[in-house]
Amino acid sequence: MENSVSLTILGGLANVLMVLLVAPFCQGVLRKVTALIQSRQGPPIRQAYYDLLKLLGKEDLESGDSPVMQRFAVYMSLATVLAISTLVPMGFSSPMNGQGDVILLIYLLTLSGICTLLAGLAAGSTYSILGISRQMMIMIALEPLFATAIIIGAIHTRSFRLDTVLHGSVYANQGFPWSGLIILIVMLLSFQAFVERVPFDISEAETELMEGPLVEYSGPKLAMFKYASMVKLIIYSALFVDIFAPWPTGIAGPIQWLLFWAKIFVLVLLVTLVAATHARYRIDQAIRYFALLLAAAVAALVLAGFGL
Amino acid sequence: MPKDRRLFLYVEPSALKEICRYIFIDLDARYITCIGVDDRPFSGSFMVVHNFAFDKDHLLCSVLVHIPADNPKVDSITDVVPAANWAEREMRDLVGIEPVGHRYPKRLVLPDGWPDGVYPLRKDLRWDHVPKDFDEDREFLFDDPPEGCIVVPFGPFHPTLDEPSHFRLYVEGEMVRGCEYRGFMAHRGIEKLSESVMSYNDINIMAERICGICGCVHSVAYSQAVEAAAAITLPPRAEYIRTIMLEIERLHSHLLWTGLACHIIGFDTMFMQSFRIREPIMYISEKITGNRKTYGLCIIGGVRWDIPMEMNAEIRQVLDKLEAEWRPVFESVSKDRNIQKRTKGVGIADKHAVKNAGLIGPVARAAGVDIDCRLDHPYAAYDRVDFNVITEQDGDVWSRLLVRVREVFESIKIIRQCLEKMETGPLHADIKDELPVGRLGLSSVEAPRGESHHFVITGENNRPRRWRVRAPTYQNLQAVPMMIKDQQIADMTISLGSIDPCFSCTDRLETIDLKSGVTRMWSQEELQESAMKKKV
Repeated sequence: MENSVSLTILGGLANVLMVLLVAPFCQGVLRKVTALIQSRQGPPIRQAYYDLLKLLGKEDLESGDSPVMQRFAVYMSLATVLAISTLVPMGFSSPMNGQGDVILLIYLLTLSGICTLLAGLAAGSTYSILGISRQMMIMIALEPLFATAIIIGAIHTRSFRLDTVLHGSVYANQGFPWSGLIILIVMLLSFQAFVERVPFDISEAETELMEGPLVEYSGPKLAMFKYASMVKLIIYSALFVDIFAPWPTGIAGPIQWLLFWAKIFVLVLLVTLVAATHARYRIDQAIRYFALLLAAAVAALVLAGFGL
Repeated sequence: MPKDRRLFLYVEPSALKEICRYIFIDLDARYITCIGVDDRPFSGSFMVVHNFAFDKDHLLCSVLVHIPADNPKVDSITDVVPAANWAEREMRDLVGIEPVGHRYPKRLVLPDGWPDGVYPLRKDLRWDHVPKDFDEDREFLFDDPPEGCIVVPFGPFHPTLDEPSHFRLYVEGEMVRGCEYRGFMAHRGIEKLSESVMSYNDINIMAERICGICGCVHSVAYSQAVEAAAAITLPPRAEYIRTIMLEIERLHSHLLWTGLACHIIGFDTMFMQSFRIREPIMYISEKITGNRKTYGLCIIGGVRWDIPMEMNAEIRQVLDKLEAEWRPVFESVSKDRNIQKRTKGVGIADKHAVKNAGLIGPVARAAGVDIDCRLDHPYAAYDRVDFNVITEQDGDVWSRLLVRVREVFESIKIIRQCLEKMETGPLHADIKDELPVGRLGLSSVEAPRGESHHFVITGENNRPRRWRVRAPTYQNLQAVPMMIKDQQIADMTISLGSIDPCFSCTDRLETIDLKSGVTRMWSQEELQESAMKKKV
C-alpha cells in the first residue's frame, strides 16, 4: 500500500513536470511553424522559455480593482491545469485515479475557465469585463461538449473511473459506434475553441479587446497565465488523444510513451495550421457554431444511451 | 466650360446658403470642403470658401464669400449640406468665423483647454504663440451617453489604432449604440507654418510629411494647386514620373491596407504575406527616389528625380512579380468564406450616405458611386492612360476589400502604360519670375483612400497666403459613427479600418524624427520645456 501511494505521487509529479517542460516547447513550435507559414523567419523554438523567464523576472505590479483576487486567480489558473495533468494519462495509465474522478475532471476543466473569468473581473477594466462576458458565453456553450464526450465514454464503459473511461471508450469495445464517430467530429471541430486559439480567441481578441481579461496583467502574473494557457493546449491534446486515439495498445511502455507525445505534437501542428489560416469569428457567429455542435453532441449522447 | 475646368463664384453672404443648396442638391455636386481665410490684410475682410466637385462634368468649383472683418459670421450650410459639418467647425476653431445655425457646434480641432477668442490661423497671431491661459491638462468634455449604455473608450491608444484618436463608444451588451469622436490630437498647425515661415518649395517637403503612407499624394496635390494658381505647365516627362510614383504609392498603400485589415480580423497570415508581397515595391521606390517612403519627389513645376531608362526593365520585373503573386491572393480572398463572414454586411455606407457625408475613394466606389479623381479631374498623365474604375455595389467592408484588392491590378496597368509612353525631356518647367500674388488654385488628387484636396491662395514673400489641405479621411471618418451604429463591438475595428483611416492626414501632423539612443525618461513637462526653448 505504502509503495503504491508513493508511486501514484511520483506518477503525478512526473506528469506535472513533463507538462511544464513540454508546454513552452510546443508553444515555440507553434510560433515557429506559424512564422514559416507566414513567410517569416520566426523566433527560435526556445523563445517561449525565454519569454516566461523574462516575465517572471519583472517587477510584480499590483494593479486593477482587487489585486488580491487578481493574484489568486492567476495561481488558481496554473494550479488547476496542473492538477488536471495529474489525472490525465500521458503515455502511461493515469497516475491518480479513483472512483468518480471523471466528475472531478469535468469540474476542474470548468474551474480553469472560471479562473479566467475571475482574472478579468479582478482587473475591472472595461475591456476585461467585455472579455469575460464573451468568455462566459463561450464557456456556457463549450463546456458541455467535453463533458458530453467523457460521459459518452462513461456510458459505454459503465464506469466513472478515468482510466477506464479515457481509454478510447467512446467507441466502446465493438468497433465504431455512431455516437463515438459523431463526438469525434464534434470535438475535432471545436478543438480550436478549447485551446483558445484563432478563430476562437474571441475573449482575448487583441485587435478588439486588447487581450480582454489579461489586459491588466504584467510580469510574473502574466507569465503564470501564459504558462497556464500553454499547459492547457497540452492537456486538451492529451485528453483528446486519450479519448479518441489511444491506439495501438499493449505495446512496450517506452514506445507507447513516445507515441503518445508524437500524437500530441501532431495535434499541436494541426492547431497551428488552423490558427494560421483563419480569421477570428465574431462572438455571435461562434456561439451559433457551438450551438450546432452541441446539438450534434446531444444527439450522440442519446445514441450512446441506446448503445449505438 | 472654362478651359482649366475651375469655376470661382463670388457671392453675397446672404445668398450663400441658397446657392450651396442649389449646387449640392439641384445640380447634384459633391461637397469637398470649406475653407476659412483671414484676408483682412489684403481685402479688409474675412473670406469663406465652399468647394464643390462636379465629377461627371470634370469641374471643380469654389463658392467664395467675403465676410466683414468686424462681424465674422456666416450662415452654416450644414442643414442642406451635412458633409460640411467638420469643415465649418474647423473654420470656427482656427479662423474664428462663426457658422451661424450649425447643427452641432462643438469644438473640433482645438483642445478644450484652449482659451476662447484666440484663433491660430488669423494673420495677427504669430505661428509660435501659445496663449498664457492655455490649460493643457483640461479634460475633454464629452456628451452624456444614451440611457442604458456603458462607455467603452476606444483609444487614444489602442493596438488597432496606429495613431492617437479617441472614440467613445456607447455600448449596450455587445452592441454599439453610438459614439463620439475626439481627434486632432496630433494637430501640428502645418497650414499656419506654411503661411508664415516656409517658402513654396519648402512646403512641398512638409506636405509630403503630412502622411507616412500617402505623402506623395499631398506633395503632388499641393504642387498642382500652386501650379494651377500660377498657370505653370509641366513638361510631359515630369507628369509621367508623378503618375508612376503616385501609382507606386497606391500599390504599397493598398497592399499595406489589405494586410492590416486581415490583421484586424485576426487573419495574421494574410497580413504577413501582404507585407512580403509589398516589399519589392518599397525597394523599387528606394531605388528611384532614395527613400522607401516620403519620396521628396515634387518641386513646383516638376519633379526632382528621374526614372532612368535602364530602370524600366527592373520596374517591369517588379510589377510582373507583384501581379503574379497578387492574383492568387485575389482569387483566394474573393472566395474565402471565413473573411466574408466577418466583413459582409458590416459597416455599411450606402449611396445616400456617400452623397450626404461627401464620402470618397474606395468607400464611395464600394457603394457603387464611380468617382475617381484620376478620371473625373485628370491631372499629371492620367488623361493619357487607360484604366478602369473599380466599383462594387454593397457598400460594406467586404466591397471595400474587393475594390482595393482589384485596384492593385489597375495600378499595375497604369504604370506599365506610363513606362511605355514616357518621352524624354526636361524634369521641370523653367520658372523665371516670381509667382503671381492673390491667385486661387484648387487641386484634387486621388489618394489610395480617396480624394486629397488642396486649396491655395498665392501670396507675397514666396509663400502662399493660405493653404488648406482636406485629406480623404477627413470626410470618410465623419461617417464612421454612422457605420458602426447598431453593430457589434467586434465589428467596430474593421469598420473603422475599412475606410483606411489616416489620422495624421486628418489632423495634419508633422512627423518628428526622434534621435535614437536616448535612454533617459522624459516627463511631459521636461519635454515641453525643451521644446519651448528651441522655439524661442
